[in-house]
Amino acid sequence: MNAVRQFGNGVFSMNGREWSLLVACLLAIVIFSVASPHYATSGNAATVLRNSVELLLIGLGMTLLLAMGGIDVSIGIVMGLAAIAIGRVLGADGNPALAIIVGPLVGALLGCVTAAVVVLGRVPAIVGTLGLLGVYRTAVFVLLGGQWLSGLPSSLTNLLATTALGVPVPALVIAVAYLAVWLALRRTPYGLHLLAIGNSEEKARLSGIPVIKVRFITFVISGVLTGIAAMFYVATYRNVEMTIGSTLALDAIAAVILGGTSILGGRCSLIGTVLGVLLLRILQNGLLLIGVPSLWQPVVTGVLIIGVLGFEAVSNRFPLAQLRRARA
Amino acid sequence: MKTLRNLQGPALTLALLCGLWLIVIVGLLALKPSVFNLGTVTTILQFSTILALVGLGQGLVIMAGGAGIDLSVGGAVSLSAIVAMLCLKLGLPPVLLPVVCILAGATLGALNGWLVNGLALLPFIATLGTFFVYSGAALAVTGGAAQAGVPSWLLVWGRGVVMGIPLPFLTLAIPCFALAGLVLLSTAWGRWIYAMGFNERSARLVGIPVDRVRFILYALSGALAGAAGLVSIAWLGSGRPNIGQNLELESLTAAMLGGIAITGGRGGVGGVFAAVLLLVTLKTGLLQLNINTVWQVGIVGALLVFVLLADRLSQRWRS
Repeated sequence: MNAVRQFGNGVFSMNGREWSLLVACLLAIVIFSVASPHYATSGNAATVLRNSVELLLIGLGMTLLLAMGGIDVSIGIVMGLAAIAIGRVLGADGNPALAIIVGPLVGALLGCVTAAVVVLGRVPAIVGTLGLLGVYRTAVFVLLGGQWLSGLPSSLTNLLATTALGVPVPALVIAVAYLAVWLALRRTPYGLHLLAIGNSEEKARLSGIPVIKVRFITFVISGVLTGIAAMFYVATYRNVEMTIGSTLALDAIAAVILGGTSILGGRCSLIGTVLGVLLLRILQNGLLLIGVPSLWQPVVTGVLIIGVLGFEAVSNRFPLAQLRRARA
Repeated sequence: MKTLRNLQGPALTLALLCGLWLIVIVGLLALKPSVFNLGTVTTILQFSTILALVGLGQGLVIMAGGAGIDLSVGGAVSLSAIVAMLCLKLGLPPVLLPVVCILAGATLGALNGWLVNGLALLPFIATLGTFFVYSGAALAVTGGAAQAGVPSWLLVWGRGVVMGIPLPFLTLAIPCFALAGLVLLSTAWGRWIYAMGFNERSARLVGIPVDRVRFILYALSGALAGAAGLVSIAWLGSGRPNIGQNLELESLTAAMLGGIAITGGRGGVGGVFAAVLLLVTLKTGLLQLNINTVWQVGIVGALLVFVLLADRLSQRWRS
């Protein structure tokens, strides 16, 4: 119990991993500012933050999934499908209230579909969601009918791109989502069960944890968060294109892994995911500004995933304490 | 009926696949009788070659267990084709093109093997990472442009047809499958692969070199992806940076349809071969019926989910 709880117990408590991520973010900002005159502007900072909104929400869900020993590679396209639903509703009568309900609803529904295949069907999450990814991609093409969904009414934008109490609405929603996920993870039995399943599903089952229920709920939570992300996507861009969300799943996985959540389960850091998302977006934006073509982005993200995991594997094998002992 | 019920394991899979295949063919014939002639058969086999090679590697990696999976195959096909073509541009003697292509693939596969074995990363996350690295690098290095300049003697091989059977299929896919089948059924290596897939712990305890076998299988999967890249070059006449698109999904579907258990230790390459033919027949049929290609990825994905669920259900019924 203690072993599970001692990690990042406070809402924003940071350990060495998270501090080094913060330092990496700052370092990246300094380096890019020197390298490109366009980097250190308030407009660009706003762009980076704007681009992080969807990934932050999806990243929170992906943190839960990976901590549980699951994964969802279809999550980007799920956001696309939710965005199409929102766009259709908005286009039909422009009522933003309905659009706000529809996003999370579609997300939850698709989360249920994924959970039905992966959890109830006892299929490895990676293979099941890869199959669903194919299905969803076809669904996006068919639903869009070969055209962009564009020129959507601005009612949703007016609602979500404003400030409330002096804080931008997206920031408020993300803060609420963060707090909700943090509370669920650190202050409820659900969180403990989730981390226990991540450690060992078999042992969790034997100790009487409702494994199937917890896993099912987690996929649905991830779906709901993705639906909320779709809302912000539509509000910002007011169109939905064919390739929507094609790299989001990879980005989310990379951010979560950067943040120190262990895919071997049992360790999980929400603040790490937030910093991971920021670092990823800072890197992507900075590389673009210093003239690296955007085609390189998946390469950079992939290298980050493997690099971080490889580094962890090596440093686990040769812990710092062992090195110190050897030196003494 | 009784004989069907007596069938088990690979034989049952094969019987089911043949049944499905017949259904697909009959359905196609009913919808568009003009489809079937020798030309279509050649086309199907031509398309099958790439998927067959990649599916074989994928199947072997999964069969060896340890949550083994190679999601990077599509990226490895693209990247090895691109690397070979770029080497050609940099002054490599054209004779060495096939060797370089397969070697490039084997190197990419060996990198996967090292990540999985040496660093003990989970195969799905390691190969997911390398998938994006390989496929992204193939696109980024070329800027998305196809690389021309394939020597003409290679095109003769890649486009040659003997009695309706394409040469790459005859000289590469069939021997590879025959060899793999032989190794699996009648050599110690084959027994080792099944044993470690079935129960890795006991395999280690009886002294099977699990790590070495697994590393070699990942490298082999890469080499087969390189061979598939070579086939694509020789057939299409250029190295295309997106040739491996969706191959990770299709090869997985082929392996699962072919009766390989996702947990390893069960299945055979004959099933994979039949599943590849079934998949490509289905895809070609859809193409002939003028159904938009975007449906292909969805149908293949749905098939994958369906096969996995059916496998679980049949296990529950038996027990």
